[in-house]
Amino acid sequence: MKPAPFEYYAPTSVAETVALLEQHGPEAKLLAGGQSLVPLLNMRLARPTVVVDVGRVAGLDYVREEDGALAIGAMTSQRTIERSELVEQRLPLLRAATRLVGHPQIRNRGTVGGSIAHADPAAEYPAVALALDAQMRVAGPGGERVIEAADFFVTYLTTALEPSDVLTEVRMPLLPGGAGWSIVEIARRHGDFALAGAVVTLSVDSGSIKDPRVVLFGVGATPIRVREAEERLAGESPSEALFTEAGKLVSEVIDEPLSDIHATAEFRRHLAGVMAQRGLAEAAGRVA
Amino acid sequence: MGGFEFPKSIDDLPVTNPKWVGRPVKRVEDPQLITGRAEFIDNVELPGMLHCAILHSPHPHARIKSIDMSRAAAMPGVVTTLTGEDAERWTRKSYTTPEGWGTYVLATDKVRFVGEPVAAVAATSRYIAEDALELIDVEYELLDPIVDAFAAAQPDSPKVFDEHENNIMYQRKFTWGEVDEAFAQAGHTYTEKFRWHRVGANPLETFGVISEWDLVEDTLTCRGSFQTPSYMAMGRAATFRLPSNKVRFIGQPHGGSFGGKGGGRGTDITAMLSRKAGGRPVKWIEDRIEYLTAGGSQAWDRHYEVSIAVKNDGTVTALRVKLLDDLGATAEGFGATGAVKPMASFTGCYAIPAAEYDLTLVATNKLPASPYRGMGPPPHNFVLEQMMDIAARDLGIDPAEIRRRNFIPPDQFPYIIPSGNEYDSGEYEAALDKVLEMSGYEELRNEQEEARAQGRLIGVGVVSTIEPGVFDWNAYTVIGTRGIGIPEGVNVSIDTMGKITARVGFALEGQGQYTVVTQLLADYFCVELEDVRVVMADNLSAPPNFGPGGSRLGVAITGAVLGAAQRLTEKLVKVAAKLFEVQPEDVELLDGELRVKSVPESKISVRNVVGIMLNRSDMLPPDVDPSPEATFAWTAPGRVEPDEQGRVKSYLTAANACHLVMVEVDPDTGMVEILKYYIADDCGTRLNPANVDGMIQGALAQGVGAALLEEYVYDENAQPLTASFMDYLLPTIHEVPMPEKASLVTPSPFTPLGAKGAGESAIHTTPAAIMCAINDALLPLKVRATEVPASPNRVWKLIQDAQQQ
Amino acid sequence: MISQRDIRLTVNGVSYEGSAEPRMTLVDFLRHELGLVGTHVGCEHGVCGACTILMDGKAVRSCIMLAAQADGADLMTVEGLAKDAELHPIQQAFMEERGLQCGFCTPGFMMSIHELLQTTTDPSDEEIRDALGGAICRCTGYESILKSVRNAAAKLRAST
Ligand SMILES: Cc1cc2nc3c(=O)[nH]c(=O)nc-3n(C[C@H](O)[C@H](O)[C@H](O)COP(=O)(O)OP(=O)(O)OC[C@H]3O[C@@H](n4cnc5c(N)ncnc54)[C@H](O)[C@@H]3O)c2cc1C
Repeated sequence: MKPAPFEYYAPTSVAETVALLEQHGPEAKLLAGGQSLVPLLNMRLARPTVVVDVGRVAGLDYVREEDGALAIGAMTSQRTIERSELVEQRLPLLRAATRLVGHPQIRNRGTVGGSIAHADPAAEYPAVALALDAQMRVAGPGGERVIEAADFFVTYLTTALEPSDVLTEVRMPLLPGGAGWSIVEIARRHGDFALAGAVVTLSVDSGSIKDPRVVLFGVGATPIRVREAEERLAGESPSEALFTEAGKLVSEVIDEPLSDIHATAEFRRHLAGVMAQRGLAEAAGRVA
Repeated sequence: MGGFEFPKSIDDLPVTNPKWVGRPVKRVEDPQLITGRAEFIDNVELPGMLHCAILHSPHPHARIKSIDMSRAAAMPGVVTTLTGEDAERWTRKSYTTPEGWGTYVLATDKVRFVGEPVAAVAATSRYIAEDALELIDVEYELLDPIVDAFAAAQPDSPKVFDEHENNIMYQRKFTWGEVDEAFAQAGHTYTEKFRWHRVGANPLETFGVISEWDLVEDTLTCRGSFQTPSYMAMGRAATFRLPSNKVRFIGQPHGGSFGGKGGGRGTDITAMLSRKAGGRPVKWIEDRIEYLTAGGSQAWDRHYEVSIAVKNDGTVTALRVKLLDDLGATAEGFGATGAVKPMASFTGCYAIPAAEYDLTLVATNKLPASPYRGMGPPPHNFVLEQMMDIAARDLGIDPAEIRRRNFIPPDQFPYIIPSGNEYDSGEYEAALDKVLEMSGYEELRNEQEEARAQGRLIGVGVVSTIEPGVFDWNAYTVIGTRGIGIPEGVNVSIDTMGKITARVGFALEGQGQYTVVTQLLADYFCVELEDVRVVMADNLSAPPNFGPGGSRLGVAITGAVLGAAQRLTEKLVKVAAKLFEVQPEDVELLDGELRVKSVPESKISVRNVVGIMLNRSDMLPPDVDPSPEATFAWTAPGRVEPDEQGRVKSYLTAANACHLVMVEVDPDTGMVEILKYYIADDCGTRLNPANVDGMIQGALAQGVGAALLEEYVYDENAQPLTASFMDYLLPTIHEVPMPEKASLVTPSPFTPLGAKGAGESAIHTTPAAIMCAINDALLPLKVRATEVPASPNRVWKLIQDAQQQ
Repeated sequence: MISQRDIRLTVNGVSYEGSAEPRMTLVDFLRHELGLVGTHVGCEHGVCGACTILMDGKAVRSCIMLAAQADGADLMTVEGLAKDAELHPIQQAFMEERGLQCGFCTPGFMMSIHELLQTTTDPSDEEIRDALGGAICRCTGYESILKSVRNAAAKLRAST
């Protein structure tokens, strides 16, 4: 269980990284924390001939508040997020999500950018990104551009990034004051990838729900936003019955979910509803 | 044995105040392990060593049309390559039980499971060796995969072995007592089907080996993580047609085994590669994917149909078990013994007078089954205990009470069960009472009532099981193993400085047996633990031995150590007798001194007697040679061949445990949460209570895994779907409960010091207990979980089906 | 032919220089190039935790890192715990509480615990579970490991 041979580069700037990726084309693979890529290399399921390690690129490791959002450098470790006071105070949803990512040893190495770029359908960060309308800042051969979360997650392990693109920053908008949020998931063991999970945000304005967001993960090929459920919730007054109904709706409307040895599509469909319902109840409980 | 009288209890040791035996002394194994210095096999580097990588079949069933090794062989760094042709030339097909279901270590005519070794290379690094595998060209002709056990057992099924008539490896119905009559007369009979999916050992260290074939002397030396080095050595001698004293096996400390270390194939492949590479040592470290898909990893793939006959008062009068066990592609590696071992404790803790075992072992295109801790009874106990609960529910008897009514009473021991094994001793009711008291059983039931009233699914399982201890080959005679008795030997010597060395034939594996040997000798000769050292001897230097397995080593090595110590003492006594000018009968060993029995001042230390033996030939009695050492090999007494119905006294001891577990099932997700766990355990005298406790807790974790998480999955084409630890789920610190434990001590009348086999431990009980608790939780829904593991998907589906009815 | 890379790093306070193919994992480099064999390999895909070491003070899986990624880093392995004959409090605690059986996973566990106890001097059971949840021990059933951590924490508190 050893990787196939590859050349290795350790550029020190984003420009150099992009140039290397461009030079080597689709045979090249970018390496961040390696917590998803190196297992695949070891199993020879990923076989790049060139590995470009962004670990030595300066200036991609930061969290700061800018214009109502947290701007997070792509190479910021998940552990840094977990321990950031800024994140805890300004976007506790992101901290809660982080604590569900693997284990401390994984989070010590795994990066925010890596998780989002890897786009595992059961991963927490992509779901949070979608729920918050995050923006991905990307450096590519043609310069910089920004991709909206809604356009970013294309399908299973596939994003809108081109082979020579480097994700440099993720901007996670802050929730409006008083908004409720939750991230809930069910996994076979603590720390495992979720069989199904939900990220929910909502506000309550004079007794009725405003701007609800219901995003599921672990269910489809990408994180999925369930607009039907959001429409059903908007303007209603929060109640257990309403959340149960929304959960049912989620189970009904989502596309055929993934099926694997841990959960059939039928079970995931059901769990999606349960997670949505539980997520809604928890988020409503946090509304200030 | 040999006229030996073994001390029956710790108090009988030749020491006034035993300081070590029976106490939780620190382990002598630990310093090297916690500093990272223990010499695990992958730490060993030999000069000129090459690295092996194995090409495994991607197909479950296919004919090999051609193999072209030329591109791989030509790759820089590759020294030699190997295929089935070499295996055919140099080896015999694997020895199997049942006989005749073996293959060569590398596929020759066809492949029979995904993961079967097809070719191998030896190269200057593992990286290069794996690169070379990609240059091997194999052409396969695909055959229909055989994956369903029931279909495989049909006469029209495609065949795993063309030379056999069908895929039935073994079929036999054992009847013990008047079973039909009992069922005909029973007030109540209950029948249920159960499914236990494949689980397995998964030690944290996979198998590894370094083989070295000396071409000049034609000797083979293998170092590796062998659970049973001397048996492996004998097997290799037979496989390679080598004189057995030309095969040397050195056991390295290893990172657990639990029966699942396997290794026969890897050993033979590296041996042949070394032979082809001019004798250079060749190392193979099985990687985790290889372990999971092609190693000694998988056990117990079972389909049960079980019936019990019960009287109105809850007395069980007969048990019928029909088992179809899917052994996978071959019968190598003793996987089949797991289906026979339940005969050693067939009727559990209960005085059920009649029983029947209808056993079929079938071949399919899955990985050949291996042994795993417990060796087969855990699924059997699971089905038996579910049946007890089913009867209890129907008859309105509390689950604890129905067990109490059926327990073998303490005054009936030794007790012979219908399947022939003899239980040595037991206090089953006392263990049950202990657990009920610890848990506050009545209160738990009240809590459960309240929870149920709120619509919560809470359940309590209470289960008593037997752990057969000290296995003997005669337990498996019916399936083709040979021999009666398993010698476990030790050599003990004392040097001029009074230091003691014990040589054993097994390596460190985790159970703490070196510590037990140290404790025994330190008390026997009344010295400090530091004065004793235990060393591993290779198969050519060690006395006859087997090593760990079948909960036997603790008892067996105790017998061996006490026997050797006694033999050594007899020599010392003679020397001392001459010195004091008395008869040997007048001299005894006590508190580390040889004393004249009637004259307390006439005494001399063991160390000084040894000094005399080694340095004063003039003072030696004529019949004593100057060698202060002795060897003793212990084997269980009174073992014989089975009778015509397979009945035999096989396992010498019967430990008992009672577990009580409370769970909550989440009806929306099917997740099972363990809320409370209590254990009362009785394995006789505890030589080192901390060792025993460690076995219980570790086996409990494995039981939790088996009940809730672990499962080897194959798809309908016999492709394994659990090739990584992301898919085969081992319990972590989050999933394993920390139970309240109590111990009872009912010594065995049959063993030295009264200890019973205790190594397999809670895995016999935990899966049964958890499943009983889940079914208790599901009771209001009138559904029953009969499939293990009770994954969330399965449990949810059951609930779902119930709600839709 | 792919060129070797020079790698310089510090392990347990000692500087090492070596070279490795870019594809070589850090654990293989430690074990087979530097001869630091106390760190073990259990799964090579980051799940079991046997290969856990400290990199710049943080517990990481050395089987899913390339040696090249650790160039210039300051590492600690199990070999760095004891000072000559004096065992580290974590090691003492493991011996006292029976925190190990076969001992194969133990170096990895001790490294994760080392990281935990650097920042959390009196961890709750929940914090201990959280820190160790990603590591597998197949022998002990974790109870004695939990006790070892409590014991080690107490020892370390007493010594400061
Ligand atoms: C045992 C274990 C458990 C885990 N559990 C979870 C879990 O529960 N939830 C979860 O979400 N994750 C989990 N992970 C995955 C972990 O979070 C990874 O860290 C993460 O998915 C990838 O981040 P990384 O920095 O390690 O990226 P890498 O592994 O280095 O890269 C992953 C992919 O993203 C690409 N990439 C990385 N960075 C960039 C960039 N800046 N620009 C463009 N492309 C880039 C790489 O080319 C590669 O294809 C687990 C991992 C392990 C080993």
